[in-house]
Amino acid sequence: MPLSRALARHQTPAILIVLLAIIACLSLVGQSDALQVTLTEMFIRVVVVVGLYVFIGNSGIISFGQIGFMCIGAYAAAWATGEPTFKQIMLQGLPVFLQEAQYPFLVAMAGAMVLPAAVALILGFAIMRLAGTAASIATFAFLIIVNSVYSNWDSVTAGVSSIIGIPTVVGPWTAYVFAAVAIVVAYLFQVSRIGLMLRASRDDEVAARASAVHVLRVRLAAFVLSAALCGLGGGLYAQFLGILTVDPFYLSLSFITLAMLVVGGMFSLTGAVVGVVVVTAVVEILRALERGVGLGDTAFSLPSGSQEIGLGVVMALILIFRPSGLARGKEFRLFRAAPAAPAASAAEPALQLSESPTSAR
Amino acid sequence: MIQPYVEPQARTIDRSRTNAATLEVEGLSVLFQGLAAISDVSLTVNRHEVFGLIGPNGAGKTTLVNCLTGFQRPTSGRILLGGDDTSGWPAARFRERGVARTFQAGRLFKDMSVSENVEVTGTGLGLGLRSAREHARALLDWVGLSDKAQLPAGALAYTDQRRLGIARSLVLSPAFILLDEPAAGMSDAECEDLNELVAAIPQLFTCGVLLIEHNMRVVMGISHRIHVLDGGKTIAEGTPEEIQRHEAVLAAYLGMDA
Ligand SMILES: Nc1ncnc2c1ncn2[C@@H]1O[C@H](COP(=O)(O)OP(=O)(O)OP(=O)(O)O)[C@@H](O)[C@H]1O
Ligand SMILES: [Mg+2]
Repeated sequence: MPLSRALARHQTPAILIVLLAIIACLSLVGQSDALQVTLTEMFIRVVVVVGLYVFIGNSGIISFGQIGFMCIGAYAAAWATGEPTFKQIMLQGLPVFLQEAQYPFLVAMAGAMVLPAAVALILGFAIMRLAGTAASIATFAFLIIVNSVYSNWDSVTAGVSSIIGIPTVVGPWTAYVFAAVAIVVAYLFQVSRIGLMLRASRDDEVAARASAVHVLRVRLAAFVLSAALCGLGGGLYAQFLGILTVDPFYLSLSFITLAMLVVGGMFSLTGAVVGVVVVTAVVEILRALERGVGLGDTAFSLPSGSQEIGLGVVMALILIFRPSGLARGKEFRLFRAAPAAPAASAAEPALQLSESPTSAR
Repeated sequence: MIQPYVEPQARTIDRSRTNAATLEVEGLSVLFQGLAAISDVSLTVNRHEVFGLIGPNGAGKTTLVNCLTGFQRPTSGRILLGGDDTSGWPAARFRERGVARTFQAGRLFKDMSVSENVEVTGTGLGLGLRSAREHARALLDWVGLSDKAQLPAGALAYTDQRRLGIARSLVLSPAFILLDEPAAGMSDAECEDLNELVAAIPQLFTCGVLLIEHNMRVVMGISHRIHVLDGGKTIAEGTPEEIQRHEAVLAAYLGMDA
């Protein structure tokens, strides 16, 4: 296939990656540390939210547990790359191959994907059998379990104290590259056979089963891939911060990432990416206002705390005027797609939070 | 005029799994909270025939189809596909083994394109995306929807939705297709077109058809044999001529239609 046709057909991921590249270039303009941090965090969140989208967007089932996978991935990366001297003293419960060696960055990232994926495979067997709401609650229970296990298992996680000395190799550009990879992976999944079957089960589970779709299997596949991407986000985060505790991987991060997905529009990849960018931008603007801006000779600043309130108001407004998110279930397209390209979801399906229908009429 | 249907090649598909010659129901009963929706029904659908299933509202027709496709566990009795006991099969397995169905309520994938609606079955049955797309194109040609292939299924007119439901079930020529009131709510002319389509299925797809239909003229016209349910019980089975003269059937329908 000629390059131009391939690009027209797969334009959505290409556009998203270019868009993020433009944003990444901001890191060249302003050299302030704060900007570098903001950009890096934003790209890591793209990885995580795209990971959420792979499962939630394609299956229509809300999961509150994906940040648990991010936590598992972050610790896996810390175990792989931490200082051996530190690990031998503080993390004596780790297997010897981890205690005594320090693995390269990419190996750590692989571990940060494989471990959560394995956990998701086992967990998914149980959870994917449950219908809508029950499955969502079970994922929430999983988040709680991960949090308490990792806060209390002192010999491998250092418990409430932190793991220090993780090499900080992740900056804006590294994070950007991984965000681009996550977008490509999510896109390939979405247009794959399994993605097609999964989206069918989101539209109508009963009809999907009558179309020979093994709904449990395709949901499980998405759950595992989603866990791998969220875990990768965790691994990147660990190697960005250099110091790791369990605290960040809990309720507030779960809610902010879900909010990003919902604001952007949870039924398209475009929505997932746009949600991260827009929410990050809103937060940064409010933060700047909180610090104060000079208008002529009067300094003007918002009272502290208005950042949270402002974010809440902005999100509520977006959802009032665009209930299905900014992207409305559509994908970015600049050119007419080749006829063979899978049609983007044309409208927003109802979110499957209710019990899925079991009677077939 | 009905077009001939030429199925695209699918070398990776094992046809021996879907070559059952009969779909048998033996002493089937279904209870809902103690109330019998079906009591002790036995019947056999053969490949190559149109088998009509009729009965007043609430007779248990849809419940029977649900049992035959893995959506409803029978309270007692057995369902045999080509002699194999199907108990415990999930719905997807019924379709893999060649028992396809449509739904009274349509149940299309409304947010997906018309073509994708058909492709889903192809991929479910193990085809690759490209091959599933070829099969979808051929079937949409056959039912007359090829010019609407890229529209969202939810945007189709009612009769087209019914046709799409049928196209989706015919992917890779199942052994049996169970049609639950495909012509409900259609005008007489639309009904005619659909009948022509349904009547052609056994020949073109070497496929048995179980047809649930309220329009007596339609069922009598295209069924080879007819089974009549009332209140979950079998009241008659026979050729259209026999059924038209059957007293119990007339009695069951007199209260309704006359
Ligand atoms: N899931 C269910 N739970 C309880 N009762 C049910 C259920 N499904 C069907 N029934 C009852 O079983 C009986 C048979 O229903 P069914 O839908 O099979 O009838 P039908 O012959 O298809 O009728 P129609 O012509 O109206 O489609 C009805 O009395 C119905 O109320
Ligand atoms: Mg019915």
